[in-house]
Amino acid sequence: MSVSSLASFEYLEGLPGTTFRRLYLQPSTALAIFRRMLPHLAKTFVMAMLYMTKPIPLTDLDLWVHPNSKRQPTEALSLLSRLHIVHITARTRDDPQVVSLTKAFGSSLRLALTGGGDHQSFGVPSSDSTTADVDLNFLDDYAQMQWEGILHFVVSSVGEGMRQGGQGPTAAVKQLLESGNLVTRARHSGGGITQAGFSFLLQEANAQVWTLLLLWIKNAEKMEMDSVDVLSFLFMLGSLELGRAYSTTTLTASQKQMITYLVDFGLVYIPPSTKNQFFPTRLATTLTSDATALRSVAAGFDAAHTNASAMKGFIIIETNYRIYAYTTSPLQIAVLSLFTKLTTRYPNMVSGRITRESIYRAISHGITSDQVISYLSTHAHPQLLKASAAQGGGPVLPPTVVDQIRLWQIENERMKATSGFFFKEFENQKEYDACAKYADEVGVLVWKSDAKRMFFVSRVEQLRDYIKSRKMK
Amino acid sequence: MPAKRKASSNVRGGTKIGRDSAASTPGPATPRSIGSSSDEYSDAEPSESEKENIKKNINTFSVENYKAKQKSHAVAGGMDSASHHFGANDFSYLSLKPDHDNRPLWIDPHKGRIILESFSPLATHAQDFLTTIAEPLSRPVFLHEYALTPHSLYAAVSVGLDPKDIINVLDRLSKIPVPENIRKFITSCTHSYGKVKLVLKDTKHYIESSDPEMLQRLLKDEVIGPLRVQGTEEITSASAPKMAGLVIPGTKNFAGVQQAQPEGTKPKEGEPVQQEDIVATLNEDDDDDEDADAVHHFEISDGAVEKVQKRCLGLGLPVLEEYDFRNDSRNANLDIDLKPSAQIRHYQEKSLSKMFGNGRAKSGIIVLPCGAGKTLVGITAACTIKKGVIILCTSSMSVIQWRQEFLKWSNINPSDIAIFTSDNKDKFARNTGIIVTSYSMVAQRGKRSYDSQKMMDFIQSREWGLMILDEVHVVPANMFRNVTSAIKTHSKLGLTATLLREDDKISDLNFLIGPKLYEANWMELAEQGHIARVQCAEVWCPMTTEFYSEYLRHSAKKKQLIWTMNPRKFQACQFLIDYHEKRGDKIIVFADNIYALKAYATKLNKAFIYGETGNAERMRILENFQHNDKINTLFLSKIGDTSLDLPEATCLIQISSHYGSRRQEAQRLGRILRAKRRNDEGFNAFFYSLVSKDTQEMYFSSKRQAFLVDQGYAFKVITHLQGIEELPNLAFSTPSERRELLQNVLIANDADIDDDDKGDDMFHMMDGKSKAKAKKKANARRTAGALSELAGGQDMAYVEQNKSKNKELKRKKGEHNPFFKKLQRDQEKRRKALDE
Repeated sequence: MSVSSLASFEYLEGLPGTTFRRLYLQPSTALAIFRRMLPHLAKTFVMAMLYMTKPIPLTDLDLWVHPNSKRQPTEALSLLSRLHIVHITARTRDDPQVVSLTKAFGSSLRLALTGGGDHQSFGVPSSDSTTADVDLNFLDDYAQMQWEGILHFVVSSVGEGMRQGGQGPTAAVKQLLESGNLVTRARHSGGGITQAGFSFLLQEANAQVWTLLLLWIKNAEKMEMDSVDVLSFLFMLGSLELGRAYSTTTLTASQKQMITYLVDFGLVYIPPSTKNQFFPTRLATTLTSDATALRSVAAGFDAAHTNASAMKGFIIIETNYRIYAYTTSPLQIAVLSLFTKLTTRYPNMVSGRITRESIYRAISHGITSDQVISYLSTHAHPQLLKASAAQGGGPVLPPTVVDQIRLWQIENERMKATSGFFFKEFENQKEYDACAKYADEVGVLVWKSDAKRMFFVSRVEQLRDYIKSRKMK
Repeated sequence: MPAKRKASSNVRGGTKIGRDSAASTPGPATPRSIGSSSDEYSDAEPSESEKENIKKNINTFSVENYKAKQKSHAVAGGMDSASHHFGANDFSYLSLKPDHDNRPLWIDPHKGRIILESFSPLATHAQDFLTTIAEPLSRPVFLHEYALTPHSLYAAVSVGLDPKDIINVLDRLSKIPVPENIRKFITSCTHSYGKVKLVLKDTKHYIESSDPEMLQRLLKDEVIGPLRVQGTEEITSASAPKMAGLVIPGTKNFAGVQQAQPEGTKPKEGEPVQQEDIVATLNEDDDDDEDADAVHHFEISDGAVEKVQKRCLGLGLPVLEEYDFRNDSRNANLDIDLKPSAQIRHYQEKSLSKMFGNGRAKSGIIVLPCGAGKTLVGITAACTIKKGVIILCTSSMSVIQWRQEFLKWSNINPSDIAIFTSDNKDKFARNTGIIVTSYSMVAQRGKRSYDSQKMMDFIQSREWGLMILDEVHVVPANMFRNVTSAIKTHSKLGLTATLLREDDKISDLNFLIGPKLYEANWMELAEQGHIARVQCAEVWCPMTTEFYSEYLRHSAKKKQLIWTMNPRKFQACQFLIDYHEKRGDKIIVFADNIYALKAYATKLNKAFIYGETGNAERMRILENFQHNDKINTLFLSKIGDTSLDLPEATCLIQISSHYGSRRQEAQRLGRILRAKRRNDEGFNAFFYSLVSKDTQEMYFSSKRQAFLVDQGYAFKVITHLQGIEELPNLAFSTPSERRELLQNVLIANDADIDDDDKGDDMFHMMDGKSKAKAKKKANARRTAGALSELAGGQDMAYVEQNKSKNKELKRKKGEHNPFFKKLQRDQEKRRKALDE
């Protein structure tokens, strides 16, 4: 599957049609959307329709898919229309429904695939002499440093981040993180990371980049930058070549403004000597690749890091709640410290314990027990995986510990809130009985009191109709 | 160093120096390590000069004192943003060895903690080595933790390891070079430990050392000097003893396999040479050293032994007791050997080889899980020494069990083994033999009956080769001192499963008996099938609202009763009993609280045993439990915690317990570890601990589990028992029944609740003082109230008087088959005829 399930893309789907039309003017954008956001079936549809001159009837489309799987083409088509890639005519009496690619998307994608035109949407390689020392390794290191700086800031609470002095990300980035509610300065909740921030940390690098970029775009609208300009620049970045220098001269004003931020994020590197050149880093070039390429980000970092185990599973958790993490990375340690009580650090390993207090602390930051558990299991040490495989694929983490972490959270959640609707003051018992019975039948009844003639339901639509229909009679 | 010692001993509470300061966090907490959780109790029961001495001694040798000035180093070196999480415990400045992946250890330079990767290829050897030199703290699946302590090093030296070798092997196994201060710590600990030995030879006590200077130092000492027996030569020399020729019966050597290695290390074939030589070379080194050594000794008088021991402790030179039993011609040899059928297991062999490492018997403690065959270890030790043996047990029940075991495993003549209890005061027939008795019999002060006084005199007048102390963890230092001073014995062997106490007294044993010689790994034994695999579960029983509101209102004592009598807990207990009886399990239910014990047992109509149950009735109930398939559940009070051997039991339910006692939890678990069916395919024993939610019990429960959790047991939390509602006849299922129960619990007067079983734990016995107090209180009571109350007009509760299952059992016994009745009658007639 493609990454269309990612929350960050909900933003795109929510954009108005006009924005899409402008976005699709850039061939790079059309290509990126095509590559990144579409499931395979949708891609097939698009490719089939790309060079068709006439709209085709919807029924013809049905012939292409297996009659038993009706759901997939419907889903694909609805996604395509939401992204304004296809246009489906409304159902009328006489004409059958027809489908066609939107004009802007079609022409841009054709252009992108065949080349030609002078749209320059795939960047303009800089003709200036490149700086010799900017090689792939350097770019990877640079991107890693910048990005980890940001993550690290998210992890260590705001106050502690300050202590590092100049090490952290720039003030603009900090502000961005705060406005995105990834970190908070509020002292009452202990300051520092929020639940959103922790979910952010748990994402893969590529998803993190998108989360942050979308945050930035939303912000950019406030700064009166053109979001179309910004988006198409991002899509362009995704189609650039790693390790190549590009020229900044052809960029629009808002794109030039944006590039300074991208430098902060580590997506782009501008050598200090030649200001009109920029190098996209691996973070940028993998922006629009699909899921397989996501892993190559990590792999690329691995190569750069030489310490191969750093990115693989490194955490061992024992049934006695002790945690041992084979890591040297301050970032990993900082993440661990959010929910463990760290005790000792050795050159290549840290040890600590999960305690009720440490989990409480995490929960007070809004981190959920499920997040902690998923972090632990995604980073479980190969030994744990081996042990679970030896038991025929049992749970990776000790089940007692997992249960306990959940229970610690539940301990403070004795109250459960259900939002819904409250019905009372029925005219007579019969009325009440009928309604309560109906509510129970449709499965929305949450609570009722026969004595007081009142009940509570979680959903109201069906019941409302029912009551109406009773009234009609 | 001396200056430091002074400083720390002057300050009371100096024991706490450098220990985990977070130890006393209130509220439920996760299990802690042994090391840190015992701290809370450390300041119980202070002063008494010896204890001070011991403490002083302990302080002198804590790793903290050797903390090198490395702080500055740490600051200068790789501090980064993550360092602040660790404070002083950031050791990332230590350099990794280039081939660290192949080495399994990390060493913490401050606390002497060692972490072992159990999945490393070298792990098994490292584990053997570490159990010898360090205290195991936690041994779950992947990473084990050990701590280097003075005691553990003391033990390592006493089994004959050399500091040089300890450091070398550590260095070979460690991922990081052994820190300088750890080196120093090891050398100085071993330097002073085990250098001086106390030897009983031809009934004379000698102080022995391989270092003449050490002896000179002792002789010049103002206390020890005068205690030397005058008229003997200053210092005599002799050659050191060797293991050569000594064979522990039942071991593989004994079976005829000739092997020169003194310790039971048998490298498996096909393993890389490099691995096997780690321990083996060590042992060989020892041999060479000892061959060359000559020992020197001087004699001291018998009465001075304790004074000398005490003084040596003060000097930081604790004496090691050894018994050269093969050269003891004065004491008669006992004709005893293991039966050929008795094959001892590898870990028993290993533990014994530590005891008889150099051909002499060393005093010390062997720690094996319950059910792993401690008795057999004791018997084998007795068979090796072949002299008079005295065995101390915790109760008269286990006295009988010990004797039976002896007869079962060894070829001893039944007349050579006598028991000394309040009912039974035999002597052995010949000039030497074995006496089995209980701590309380021997330690009893004050007036005794004529018989037992005579018996005591007999015991005290003799010299014993070995004293076996069963369940040694229950013996308080005072009582122990009484016992040892009264009885002359050459060597002492302490046996226990749980060398831990909530107070600090366990470390006293290290000095009073000897070092811990061996501690087995529970999980490993379970995997090898020597003890049963156990599924542990903690069942959370929510409090009913009525009970919880009463819980909040009442005093601590009543609270305990309320959470024990929680009807939901009762239901859970009923459900579990029902479920497991249907599976064919034999179930033991433990309740500390006698009121609850009786209430549960009568309501559920099950047999129960507690402190006041007579001996005959106990035996009858136990026999029925073992052999009668109608009696599958047994309720036990605290008295069942230790040394009760019930191999039939496969399921254990705990409904009330002694606060946060980790030892009790482990001991109770021990009741099902020896399950007969343990080697059946897929067999699991079950251990349930029922706790009432939202009460203090939760907190105690997590504390109690700490030890077992560190041994690698995992407690699954069960919040809801599937199908409990469907159970027919579920007790207290209606609100009115629950209210009634609550009324009963509330009117249960304090005397009932106080009726706490003393069990076998002698620490909780206060020489009958508490009993006397309780009696005094029972005088007239004046209360205000209406007349209707007296007439039962108010909330008078109805008490259900179920007939006790115990009595039913008794009655059953009467119903003999007519044939046997006739037989009995005939016998009686014959006896009468004889009498006449």
